[in-house]
Amino acid sequence: MGVRNGLALGCFAFLAGQALTGATAAAQESIKIGAPLAISGKFVAYGASAKRGIDMAVDVYGGKVAGRKIELVVRDTQSDAQVAVNSFTQLLNEEKVNYLVGPIATPMAMAGLPAWRRAKALWVVPGATTPLLEEEAGKEPMLFHTFPYAYHYHVSLARTLRDHLGPGKKLAIIYSDDAYGREHLPYAQKYFKDDGFQIVAEELVRSGAADLSPVLAKIRRVRPDVLLGLVQTTDGIQLTKQAYVQRLNVPYLVGTAYPQLPQWQEATAEAQEGWVGVTTYIPGVKAKADPNYPKLFPDSDQWLADFKKRYNRAPDFIDVGAYVSTCMLLIAIENAGGDNKEKVAEELKKLDVRTMIGRGKFGPSIGGTLNQAFPDVVVHQRVKGTDAILFPKEFETTSQIEQASYAK
Amino acid sequence: MTSLIIQIAVDAFLLGGVYTLMAIGLSLAFGVTRIINFAHGEVVMFGAYAAFFGFALLGVDPLISLPAVAVLGGLGGYLLFKSSLDRILSDPGINMVLLTFGIGLILQNLAVVMWTGDERSTTPSYAFASWFLTDDVVIAQGRLIAFGLAVVFVLGLLAWLRWSELGRATRAVSQNRAAASLMGINVHAIYALSFALSSAFGAATGAIMSFLLPITPFMGFPILIKAFAIIILGGMDSIAGTVIGAFFLAFVETAIAYLVPSGIGWAEGVAFFMLVLMLLVRPNGILGRAGREA
Repeated sequence: MGVRNGLALGCFAFLAGQALTGATAAAQESIKIGAPLAISGKFVAYGASAKRGIDMAVDVYGGKVAGRKIELVVRDTQSDAQVAVNSFTQLLNEEKVNYLVGPIATPMAMAGLPAWRRAKALWVVPGATTPLLEEEAGKEPMLFHTFPYAYHYHVSLARTLRDHLGPGKKLAIIYSDDAYGREHLPYAQKYFKDDGFQIVAEELVRSGAADLSPVLAKIRRVRPDVLLGLVQTTDGIQLTKQAYVQRLNVPYLVGTAYPQLPQWQEATAEAQEGWVGVTTYIPGVKAKADPNYPKLFPDSDQWLADFKKRYNRAPDFIDVGAYVSTCMLLIAIENAGGDNKEKVAEELKKLDVRTMIGRGKFGPSIGGTLNQAFPDVVVHQRVKGTDAILFPKEFETTSQIEQASYAK
Repeated sequence: MTSLIIQIAVDAFLLGGVYTLMAIGLSLAFGVTRIINFAHGEVVMFGAYAAFFGFALLGVDPLISLPAVAVLGGLGGYLLFKSSLDRILSDPGINMVLLTFGIGLILQNLAVVMWTGDERSTTPSYAFASWFLTDDVVIAQGRLIAFGLAVVFVLGLLAWLRWSELGRATRAVSQNRAAASLMGINVHAIYALSFALSSAFGAATGAIMSFLLPITPFMGFPILIKAFAIIILGGMDSIAGTVIGAFFLAFVETAIAYLVPSGIGWAEGVAFFMLVLMLLVRPNGILGRAGREA
């Protein structure tokens, strides 16, 4: 080997060594958090909100945790189960993330479940209301569910309506033929019956139906006191408008998550008056700052102002949920002193914080999830274009439930 | 019982009007050009968004903006035809299906990127108004307006096809492309015109849907499926058949929804079962013609 060849080989060895050292150092420098989110497709609204919340949490936290840079790795599930499988596989096998935040929609979470079972990263799920996830993986110690399940909605709704209207009221249920309606129906039946409601009608509607008149006509004949609409937002808009057009003779109209959404409120205009809904967060909720983490969890007004300043829009419940969930994960990583997912899981279980959506403390759910936080939902009512909060007591702004405007 | 029958009839008629609007543009394009336009639902969606933004940003009622939306839709359809479909007219039919399907996907994703997946709706006062014929029989004003416009569109289209020079040329091309060409009719120009008209009807339908249905980037596909069912039922090259198909489907769906327990869940299934039966028994639909040269 000549001198030139020897020099070239030496240079190559040096550069390769540098590259390897650099890569190792970079790997040590950052802690990766994977975020499988629907950045496109039909769940894009969920994914965009979750990304806003996660981004803000990382920034407010200061971009570093346990002395190492936070590297957020987002993969677009495209609202497609097959793509979601690839997103999870990439994050867990190629990016080798130890922590996952997301997705929001249950089908995407269920699609990622097999890949997650193989890698067993610490998985924070700030969504997935359908208890399918609970049935399949609720007992897993590395799963942390930070959003109420469907039955939590009905526990809070039934209790609130019974407390305000008294027992023995007649209830009619409209549910969609998609996974959402069918999943919610048994819980609504159980918890409303448990709270003394008499179910006088259960009507199926096809998701995306252009005309709900036949169903509303059947409801009209049984004269219920309360109508409960177990449908998603698009069908919720249709139901709200057509119930109003029909001047349905039902005094109390109750939805699930949709009455809190700006798009539902804008699309339904005057027809929204009197609708009751559930959510984990609503602007107007007055929550105090956490004494230990006031920068991450300031009082709700301050956080709302910070969010609006950053994004020039009001947050929705997914923005807040993703923010709070990510902050809790980062605190746990900090408390664990680094990138050890088992230790982080232990720290996460110990965590007890006061947040904008209530107390952040993991415990078993009534359905069997080992690590469930935020089981209580806010029950609110649209009154004169704003939200009156009926439940829980700590956030209550009114003790009076209103009838739908055309039923008065 | 009488009021129930009246209500079924009222709802079916009003729904028939909505279905006619959904299908008429698709029927025209297929009848003349033999192009199965899988992007038709997205044209309706863009029309709905145009009406929505006219309403939300400029305060223009969707019925007022409807002519402008239709003209824009027509121009868009013309450009689309000239820039893409015109080049593959002699290709196998599957190419057109793939092309229009791809265009539909592009338009849908474009809408998601530009306007997000959030639901929207125009909220003119008539969208929330109704008349009560009896205590139980309700007529929604918005749907009645849609029904009226469907009647106007169909009569206008039939009149144009029957009495105008271009309309007669369009019918000639529809009936026999080779003979029409020999008679000196510019077949490609007629194709472009028909496609533009079809898109104009689609966009106008979108303006009407803007106060009847939630507007989302994904609203087009269910409309397309319904429209296909209607034109197959009625006959793929017949405007009158399309109207009959629309009202037939509306009556079947409404009657099942009212009279069968959980019927609204069954209604579409039964209607599509009838569609399959129609394809088996009379593949050209109620008023369609067999063996047409195109």
